[in-house]
Amino acid sequence: MNLTVNGKSATIEAQGNVSVLQLLDLLNVSQKEYVTVELNGDILDRESFAASPVQDGDTVEFLYFMGGGAL
Amino acid sequence: MGNLGQSLKLDTLLVHGGSAPGPSGATKPPIVQASAFAYDTAEELEDIFRGRAVGQVYTRIGNPTLESLEKRLTVVEDGISTILTASGMAAITTAVMAIVRAGDEILSSSSLFGGTYSLFKDTLGNFGVKTRFVDPTDLDALAAGISAATRLIFVESIGNPKMDVPDLAAIAAIAKQHGIPLLVDATVSTPYLARAKYLGADVVIHSTSKYINGTANSIGGAIVDCGTFNWQSEKFPHFEPYFKKYRNFAFSARVRKLIHKDLGACAAPFNAFLNGEGLETLALRMERHCANALKLATFLKGHEKVGWVNYPGLPDSPYFAVANRQFNGRFGGLLTFGLKDRASAFRVINALKLAKNLANIGDTKTLVIHPASTICADYTAEVKALMGVSEELVRVSTGIEDAEDIIADFAAALDQL
Ligand SMILES: Cc1ncc(COP(=O)(O)O)c(C=O)c1O
Repeated sequence: MNLTVNGKSATIEAQGNVSVLQLLDLLNVSQKEYVTVELNGDILDRESFAASPVQDGDTVEFLYFMGGGAL
Repeated sequence: MGNLGQSLKLDTLLVHGGSAPGPSGATKPPIVQASAFAYDTAEELEDIFRGRAVGQVYTRIGNPTLESLEKRLTVVEDGISTILTASGMAAITTAVMAIVRAGDEILSSSSLFGGTYSLFKDTLGNFGVKTRFVDPTDLDALAAGISAATRLIFVESIGNPKMDVPDLAAIAAIAKQHGIPLLVDATVSTPYLARAKYLGADVVIHSTSKYINGTANSIGGAIVDCGTFNWQSEKFPHFEPYFKKYRNFAFSARVRKLIHKDLGACAAPFNAFLNGEGLETLALRMERHCANALKLATFLKGHEKVGWVNYPGLPDSPYFAVANRQFNGRFGGLLTFGLKDRASAFRVINALKLAKNLANIGDTKTLVIHPASTICADYTAEVKALMGVSEELVRVSTGIEDAEDIIADFAAALDQL
């Protein structure tokens, strides 16, 4: 499955459906407990990570509030 | 090794919770005494500033040593995120200024640490934020104190130095009914007496300088976001951009990315390290602080020269029932007692040999102070009365020495009257 992750193309090997929650593991996203996920332009509620499927061609952004300056 | 979850008991979480191994398997976090953090490429630093990647930038905003204690406090308090600050006052200032704007109101307990009182009354008052001070044990007065402009309720879990104990769950219900967050300064109760979140706090504040540090070697503060408040509200339009982007982290994001960054009251890495050292032994020390305070309170209560004793652990205290219920039979290390007048209070303080006369609480050493002439000296008689500070009052922060020696010290000093 090909995705655009934080502006870069990424390919993940996965059989069957992949949820946002699983994607965090597959991509080894750091500090999972603090990450916000934007899927195709929509910010997801943390509770819906497990129920949100990721599909070929999706655009995913991972966002953290802990870093630098600008909002 | 995996992450340690919430199934563990508090005493275990204080030692292990949220800890990650340091370099070479070190059982301590490294003290990263650095101001800034370098990246190989401009793109990497851009990603961090945009929030696309995690990484340290500058110690005013974050630092690995600070982050270590932030994660541990988050686990201990069962919150979603913690921000360390330079002091307890910095934590209160930062948390409150993240929420209120000019024209807004704070509904605060009138039983407050003096610095918090003057922050609300004078410092924030001068910026157009009005505070209504209400007896926190009077629920009707609290409910009546809420106006359309109120944006938060602020209470101390145990009032310093009034020693009153508000019913936090009942106050949380009032806050919820009005769609405003409850901020609890839990410095005196510490997580050992209760996790304030479980009593209804939305934001928990600590002066880590006190019991968490435990040996009075560094100042610090912490803001714990419990993740329980819904910031998507017409009362909080200034949270909208943070809610849109960070959802339940809206408060933490606004604090970290705006208010804390701009006020700049960051913790020093070495202080954060020392405060983290203290956290490990909090339960053990608090057990002794509580036991010694109860013994000293009971002794003072029975002493002919002592007019009154205010300790929520005394069964005839008006706060015993609430404290006993919400703190599970523990009542903390702080107490106050009354002598005849200021002169007799001074004589007893001057005659104490073990107990130190100084402006602090939560040390291993027993500490005393005469608040009316020191930490509360600037306040009018009316404000002193509101805070429960009278001329004959002595505050004691009971240490962890042998209780018999503490009692003997007070007994000998009282003999001087
Ligand atoms: C209840 C309480 N809150 C806040 C503070 C302020 O903390 P700090 O001295 O770390 O600024 C103190 C004591 O100083 C305190 O006793």
